[in-house]
Amino acid sequence: MIYMYLPIAGNSVNIFLILGLGGFVGLLSGIFGVGGGFLMTPLLMMFGIPPTVAAASDSNQIVGASTSGTLAHMRLGNVDIPMGVMLLIGGVAGGTVGVQIIKLLKAMGNADFLIAITYVIMLGGVGGYMFWESLQGLKKDKNKSGSDEESAATSETTKKSFLQKLPLQYKFVKSGCEVSMILPFLVGILVGILAAIMGVGGGFIMVPVMVYLLRMPMHVVVGTSLFQILFTCINVTVMQAYSNKTVDFILAVLLLLGSTIGAQVGTAVSKRLKADQLKIMLASLVLLVCAKMTAGLLMTPAIMVALKGGH
Amino acid sequence: MRTKENTMHKIFHVFLTIMLASFTWLGSSGAAEGPLTLDLASSTIQISTFYNGTTLDVSGTVPADMDVVLQVSGPKKDVHLKEKGKVAGFLWMNKTDISLENTPAVYMVYTPNGPTKNFIGRNLGIGYKALVKDITIIPESADKDFIFGEYVKLMEESGVYAIHEGTISYGQVANETKTFKATLTIPSKMSAGAYTVEALAVQNGAVLGQARKNLDLELSGLPKTIANLAYHHSLMFGFMAVFIAIAVGLFIGIIFKGGGGAH
Repeated sequence: MIYMYLPIAGNSVNIFLILGLGGFVGLLSGIFGVGGGFLMTPLLMMFGIPPTVAAASDSNQIVGASTSGTLAHMRLGNVDIPMGVMLLIGGVAGGTVGVQIIKLLKAMGNADFLIAITYVIMLGGVGGYMFWESLQGLKKDKNKSGSDEESAATSETTKKSFLQKLPLQYKFVKSGCEVSMILPFLVGILVGILAAIMGVGGGFIMVPVMVYLLRMPMHVVVGTSLFQILFTCINVTVMQAYSNKTVDFILAVLLLLGSTIGAQVGTAVSKRLKADQLKIMLASLVLLVCAKMTAGLLMTPAIMVALKGGH
Repeated sequence: MRTKENTMHKIFHVFLTIMLASFTWLGSSGAAEGPLTLDLASSTIQISTFYNGTTLDVSGTVPADMDVVLQVSGPKKDVHLKEKGKVAGFLWMNKTDISLENTPAVYMVYTPNGPTKNFIGRNLGIGYKALVKDITIIPESADKDFIFGEYVKLMEESGVYAIHEGTISYGQVANETKTFKATLTIPSKMSAGAYTVEALAVQNGAVLGQARKNLDLELSGLPKTIANLAYHHSLMFGFMAVFIAIAVGLFIGIIFKGGGGAH
């Protein structure tokens, strides 16, 4: 009773391996307020799950993980609903487009390559930036503590002047900022497309964008990000199940049993550790996954053929 | 003209009769009536919730002076592949479309102890080199042996293509026949479908008889329900997957809040 058969992936997996994987990724997502799909999908691919099934099933498990996170943050008043809704409308539009793109690429047999290349670029960019940013934070920590707000303040004036020119300015109370409603909508579209293609909730793009671009307080960022991710992934899961039939529900349940528990533990852990130390660890991990994927694209393959159309 | 047509008819009739007769004779000599027999411990394998591949015991008899080779194969289909190639001079990606038509999804060979050439080869019709003869490659200009060889490597990774040498053992000899037995490996990647297990009696580089049994792999229990929902009620399945994920998320969230573990 150690293995379970995944009827859509068409293979068996070790239950404890998948539960552990879910727990580990859930732990990270609990600490950083991201869905964790950017790690989950490549790890599942390493364990022999077809990439399109890995991505779609991971969207399904993120629904579970972000439900419990959103619930907790809503109770604490950490969810900016108008902001979340704007991000969400963009996310749903982007997600729908993304699923159609995947469908088209699947027919062309290019889906696997696109997923791989998108990963390398996003992991490299976000991992590199996070590494650099947390390194700065750690250096600063030696001199004075809790000065995150000041660092971003220098470039604030240039950003503001551009953003204030956009129409539909709106005051987002909980986020404590006044920006055009178009901005979160566009961010939502971008994240939604990535969510569909990569099987990620987009938290690892969403969180930095909300912190550095929208200048929202960190705790509201986490709650609002999870709120948005939840609904985006509901849309992506239904679309993937309907259009591509790539959601393996057994895989998703195993993952989310691990990740929902991991997320809760992670939330507790995050309070006791320095954010910059944890961030630099996550950044290293992200860069490691990125390096592995890059090597895969650069090295001569052992087998010169691949099955077409995501297996 | 008329006489010529009649003669042609007669010749055709004689030819047909001989063909039919020889088929009947081949059939009777090859099947269970002869000294070559084949038995499967089970003709159906259920892929249930905790399935992780399985094994299947096979036994039978073969003329004492011959060897037996077992062949497991199943559903023939057209395989659509992408040949990998370099993009922009340095990035490896799936590039050229290639199809292998009439390719079995599963192909496994089991042999007794002895030199490989006695049991596997194009002349015997056993093994990958024999298999490639029945396969059509599209486009025809592609290197069939190379592409099929790479495809075999891909399939061997998950165990659905395999040559298991020296895995058949013989028992006692009685009435000029001997018993044989083997344990077939059924990998988890071998999907639900209809397969055949063949026992081939081999002597001096020729196949002298064959016995065949059907083997079915069926989804059952939870995998069957899930696959049925996913493929035949996909929209409802999507909503169900989301609903259950939300329910589990809420449940875990509430448990942890109750335990004081959350914020």
